[in-house]
Amino acid sequence: MNRSILADMLWDEYDIIEAEDGEKAVEVLKKYESDIDLLLLDIVMPHMDGFEVLEVMNQNHWIDEVPVIMISAETASTHVERAYGLGCTDFISRPFDALVVHRRVTNTILLYGKQKKLVGLLADQIYEKEQQNAMMIEILSNIVEFRNGESGMHVRHVRILTELLLDHLTEKTDRYNLSRNDIVLISNASALHDIGKISIPSEILNKPGRLTPEEFETMKAHTVIGGQMMDDLPDYQKEPLVQVAREICRWHHERYDGRGYPDGLKGNFIPISAQIVALADVYDALTSVRVYKPPYSHEKAIQMIMNGECGVFNPDLLDCLADIASTIPEQLRKSAGEGRIELRSVAEELHRHEELSASERTLQLLEHERMKFSFFAAMSQEIQFEYTVNPPMASLNAWGADRTDLKETIMDPKTCPEVRKIISQEAMDGLTAALRNTTPAQPIVRYECILNIKGEPRWSRIIARATWSSEEPPKYTGAIGKATDIHESRMQLEMLEREATHDPLTGLLNHAAARKQIQLRMDEHTSGHFALAILDLDYFKSANDTYGHMFGDQVLKYLASKLRENIRGEDMAARVGGDEFLIFLEYQGEAAPVIQRIFNSLTSGSYENFPISISMGVCLTDCVGKNYETVFHAADQALYAVKRSGRGNFRLYNQNMQDKLSVSAISPIDAAEAAEEDQVEKGD
Amino acid sequence: MTLQECYIQLGGNYDDVIRRLRSERLVTKFVLKFLDDGSCTLLLNSMEEKNYDEAFRAAHTIKGVCQNLSFTRLYEISGKLNEALRNGPTPEVPALVEDVKEEYQKTIDAIRAFKESGGL
Repeated sequence: MNRSILADMLWDEYDIIEAEDGEKAVEVLKKYESDIDLLLLDIVMPHMDGFEVLEVMNQNHWIDEVPVIMISAETASTHVERAYGLGCTDFISRPFDALVVHRRVTNTILLYGKQKKLVGLLADQIYEKEQQNAMMIEILSNIVEFRNGESGMHVRHVRILTELLLDHLTEKTDRYNLSRNDIVLISNASALHDIGKISIPSEILNKPGRLTPEEFETMKAHTVIGGQMMDDLPDYQKEPLVQVAREICRWHHERYDGRGYPDGLKGNFIPISAQIVALADVYDALTSVRVYKPPYSHEKAIQMIMNGECGVFNPDLLDCLADIASTIPEQLRKSAGEGRIELRSVAEELHRHEELSASERTLQLLEHERMKFSFFAAMSQEIQFEYTVNPPMASLNAWGADRTDLKETIMDPKTCPEVRKIISQEAMDGLTAALRNTTPAQPIVRYECILNIKGEPRWSRIIARATWSSEEPPKYTGAIGKATDIHESRMQLEMLEREATHDPLTGLLNHAAARKQIQLRMDEHTSGHFALAILDLDYFKSANDTYGHMFGDQVLKYLASKLRENIRGEDMAARVGGDEFLIFLEYQGEAAPVIQRIFNSLTSGSYENFPISISMGVCLTDCVGKNYETVFHAADQALYAVKRSGRGNFRLYNQNMQDKLSVSAISPIDAAEAAEEDQVEKGD
Repeated sequence: MTLQECYIQLGGNYDDVIRRLRSERLVTKFVLKFLDDGSCTLLLNSMEEKNYDEAFRAAHTIKGVCQNLSFTRLYEISGKLNEALRNGPTPEVPALVEDVKEEYQKTIDAIRAFKESGGL
């Protein structure tokens, strides 16, 4: 009940978990740990009292995270003292005063909240600083290594080896007077040993063959230069790390026998730091790939060093190396994953390199995106392009350039002869117009045209996006896009279209398609003069009957080819059905001579001794206007008139009228007879 | 019967409880809840079983609740019992238990009267 009263005072601002005794309280703490902002703890409770709870909290270090306010009427000072001693923060005594309870709870929570926040901030800052330090030294040594064509691991390996050697050396002897602090310093500074190489020309640095004596002298200078670089950090001369780094940079190529460079120091005149780094450097150089050599195995490398094949070293160090040799490969492997190095002092000096890391990362990301892009571009089998108006320039993806035999970058593409070979002027203008007609809101264009790919015209679909500047009014600045080869599907479509519009036997247009196209032509050229001729093969039935249907088909094909030969490109010939064909043509001046010429050449021969005779009715649009049905009907009537008058001739519809042989004057009975006769004649 | 009259009947301090808990609604709620409190039964049972630890805690709870609700008379008498039980039972304990029992009943009676009068 007391709990309920407390809960009632606080529920509207806090989430409350109630525990009915000490044991339950511990369970709750175990479950939520530091998610709990405050514990209000009674002293007298069944099973486990308040003090016991506090003790458990101490054992589990919960007390560091969760503030405790004791609630009790037990105000004896021994209780108070004991509770404070166990880490309780405050007391609330009974009877409860709502205001006091509220205030104390709030205060305690705020106080702890601030403290946690501060701890968090501090931890973040320390972490960030360490991160930056580690990053700085990595960046710095990577610069040198990348120029050097070495793996990024060399610096790390040298550092690990240096530390291993130092650790073991101090275990074996105190002759070198190295403190724990010195070991850390030397290990950290070891990363900088080759920093002087930054100023060595890369032709020398990466020369695969043997260096000339002059080149070798230049190369050797990296020791002095590295030392000088450390000397040139005026504000940090007193920093032990800079001092150690200087020793290492300058003297890591000295030899114990005094025959090294640059100063020819001998024995322990060479600082132990430089001696150790020199040994570590040699080992890692032996076991790594270099432009001039393959890697040696660990065993071989150790053997070569011990035999003095790679310089002369301090016997103490060789002993150390021998002792730890077997653990080295494992240690180096382990180090591959970790990269945290503490290097506080140089970090600040090198702070500006943070920018470098940012841009380096950006470049890496960019490079990655490029790789992705070119991979997908190649996979997609698309010609991808980018075009800018100013400067007038186009660039293609590698695949596209290869496909079109163009360069990846083309200056002034619209006038470039190579480009003109790929795309016609018309297509280029059409595409350009379409792109310029877009708006920034709807910049995408689909355009289909023929591209000449490797000398072969191929239908391609170009999907492009115009780029518009952000100024007002927006300016057309270019386009990006891709061209996909759609030749096969386009051809398929054309074939289907052709099948739908053409007569399969003769390859001429079928009647439906011809009707559509003729009407379209007439609608588009309202002032044009057109003639429609319907022609019928005379005696076709007897050809069928005498020689068979196969022969009949051959005759039809023959006539179709004659038709094709005798009309101009813009004229139209179609098979109306059976042995009936039509011709549609535009004429200037007189129609009759044109018709006469066509008629003559169609009837001038025979097919396999079957004489070609035709009847032809012609209608001129000048006479009946430009409605297809009317024109066709009139031509048809003229045809009947020809048939009625003995076949093997042609007539113009209006002429008939002028001759008073008006087609309209044909009586319905005559017309019916003519039709009947025709039916009988076709009769197949 | 008002809450104030109820407090007078059970020998409590109405002004004090209102000052601390700041709301008649809250006080009423807990006063009525006192009817369901099992501490007195626990106390009597524990005494019968001679479980003086449990009896001590029960007396402690009664004392605490009464203190929070300013049931002064019952608070005082249960406080005495609480102290008498703190370090093992003293000879006065049985008499004090009887006192608490009697006073507890009076308190319950007053609250029941309050409840039945529709004071809520």
